[in-house]
Amino acid sequence: MAAEIVTVSTDSKFVHLAWQRSEKELEKVKYTMGSDSTGNLSRMFGVYDEQTGMDLRGTFIINPDGILLNAEVNFYNLGRNIDELMRKFKANMYMAKKTNEVCPSKWKDEGDVTLSPSASIVGRVHEALEKK
Amino acid sequence: MVENFPLKVGQKVPSFEIETYDPVSKDFGKFDFDKAKADQKWTILFFYPADFTFV
Repeated sequence: MAAEIVTVSTDSKFVHLAWQRSEKELEKVKYTMGSDSTGNLSRMFGVYDEQTGMDLRGTFIINPDGILLNAEVNFYNLGRNIDELMRKFKANMYMAKKTNEVCPSKWKDEGDVTLSPSASIVGRVHEALEKK
Repeated sequence: MVENFPLKVGQKVPSFEIETYDPVSKDFGKFDFDKAKADQKWTILFFYPADFTFV
């Protein structure tokens, strides 16, 4: 995979180990579990909750040049959709290759319709999205 | 360090390193953001509230 995926909470690495070992739901988890016990990394991304010492549900995609390209933060009570995360990740990788194209909201995978912003599609986005 | 944080989309993420537990090798380690960049890798950070809760 072209990405390092790191799950992060403010728990220590020891708690990560214990949780992964005891929770059957996590038996097949293969992502690196990061520990941000100081909260510093979480503060950097604006997901640290000073009241509780816990992290909000934040997802961030960073390109190989170190530029933050996507940020999504949910409150505690709403889970994230992994399909949407992968859609964003794939779209970012695609646009890194095809720098004159942009991915519209319905873009899912390579081969789907993209837009090439130019004077000719101003006011004609509907037509540009329809043609394939 | 705090004045530019939280980061906004489009900004450069500064260097960081965090301690990790790797469930595949079942061992502790470190995630070094600079190394990921040097390896031409994307980085996806997935924050969640706490272990032993419903993620």
